[in-house]
Amino acid sequence: MNYEFPDNLKFTKTHEWVRIEDNIAIVGITDFAQHQLGDIVYIELPEKGANLERQSSAGEIESVKAVGEVLMPLSGKIIDINSILTDNPELVNSSPYDSGWIFKIEFTNKLEIDDLILVKDYKRIAEAEN
Amino acid sequence: MVDFAGFSMPVQYDSIIKEHEAVRSKAGVFDVSHMGEFLLEGKDVIDFLQYVMINDLNLLELSKGQYSCMCYDNGTVVDDLVYYEESPNRFRMIVNAGNVEKDFKWLTENIKNRDVKITNLSFERSRLAFQGPKSDEYLQSLVDVDLNSVNRFYFVYGNLNKAPIFIARTGYTGERGFELSFNNAYAEKIWNSLIKTGASPAGLGARDSLRLEATYSLYGHEINDSITPVEAGLFWLVKLKEGTDYIGKNILIKQKTHGTKRIIVGLNLLERGIIRENFKIYKENVEIGYVTSGGYSPTLKKTIGLGLIKKQYKEVGTKLEIQVRNRKLKGIVVSTPFFRNV
Repeated sequence: MNYEFPDNLKFTKTHEWVRIEDNIAIVGITDFAQHQLGDIVYIELPEKGANLERQSSAGEIESVKAVGEVLMPLSGKIIDINSILTDNPELVNSSPYDSGWIFKIEFTNKLEIDDLILVKDYKRIAEAEN
Repeated sequence: MVDFAGFSMPVQYDSIIKEHEAVRSKAGVFDVSHMGEFLLEGKDVIDFLQYVMINDLNLLELSKGQYSCMCYDNGTVVDDLVYYEESPNRFRMIVNAGNVEKDFKWLTENIKNRDVKITNLSFERSRLAFQGPKSDEYLQSLVDVDLNSVNRFYFVYGNLNKAPIFIARTGYTGERGFELSFNNAYAEKIWNSLIKTGASPAGLGARDSLRLEATYSLYGHEINDSITPVEAGLFWLVKLKEGTDYIGKNILIKQKTHGTKRIIVGLNLLERGIIRENFKIYKENVEIGYVTSGGYSPTLKKTIGLGLIKKQYKEVGTKLEIQVRNRKLKGIVVSTPFFRNV
């Protein structure tokens, strides 16, 4: 399995990655997830300003052959969305951890961070699904 | 890999979009060995085919193939297929993967007293589609027959690196290309030779996006046992065949003459999203039909689809709504094919 698993990130069972910067969480989907989806052709981004609970749906990613939901890894307010993805959804395929970031949350409950998964455990989840 | 008609088939080898683009820019190879292949022999073969097929074999000639549907009495479709005239007493027929058993049974049951023998060669022969603007050049470098002399829809027998091979200039992608059939023993060698020319392996995903752009019907979608060829826009396949009866003739000629209540149209969205099969179609909140095929067009870089709708809305430019999961998106009827090079 040749996917990227950056060790400075946290993950969810549903294949989102999270980078915590102070009280902000930057969110995207993993290299494994983008590979499973295939060529991404459409992304529905969450609304800026929306307050969403952890594990609720924050958006949709549609590929040539499938649709996947992006779930909130933490509860909070959407303070930024990567609008460049509207016209360039393929960035999520080519750069899932960098220019393919999807949205930023101002999270409201620090304790929820403990429920996020570390890279070695996420690797195992991805391997099992492969 | 996915299960497709009982076979393990690749949806994609690399990326569906890359494979699609490879076929439109150079060449791609599709393994279509899961499709069926029958040999029909006997002095009554032509008579038999005139009875079960809606197209007219008087328009066919030696070394040529013909696309047709076989229909039930009520005009709906048993399968769409191509048959090739090797001699007046010998025809090769290629049928859809999911319909091999059904078609064999249907054909056999309808022979009645005619001198026709049908052999199912599906499991001893392999089939590949070799499609793209460079397919002539690539295939010519491997075979001992002059492909220039093979016009569209005609076929020839030749040898590819000493393996005997049936080569037809037919295809399902809207590009120049060929469909090949040969004994299983040569399959790996032929596949490898074709890949070595620079052609890309292409899977079912690209096969679908290419045929959708070119607007070719897919059995189970635009045609099936509840949709007729006329409803699917294939009215040109329905031939008069004066003095000859064929299964479904009455209803189909009526439909061709008087029209049908519903018809397949091309669709685009006016808002962002992707059209998918089975999405419901509305006109001012009244349901008027559903999507039979949909997806993303790598060539046009937008979503395209086909829908079966009430015929009063079929005019190009008609605005309608398509239910995409939990949203009703604005859509429009557009002309087809969406994109074809041949």
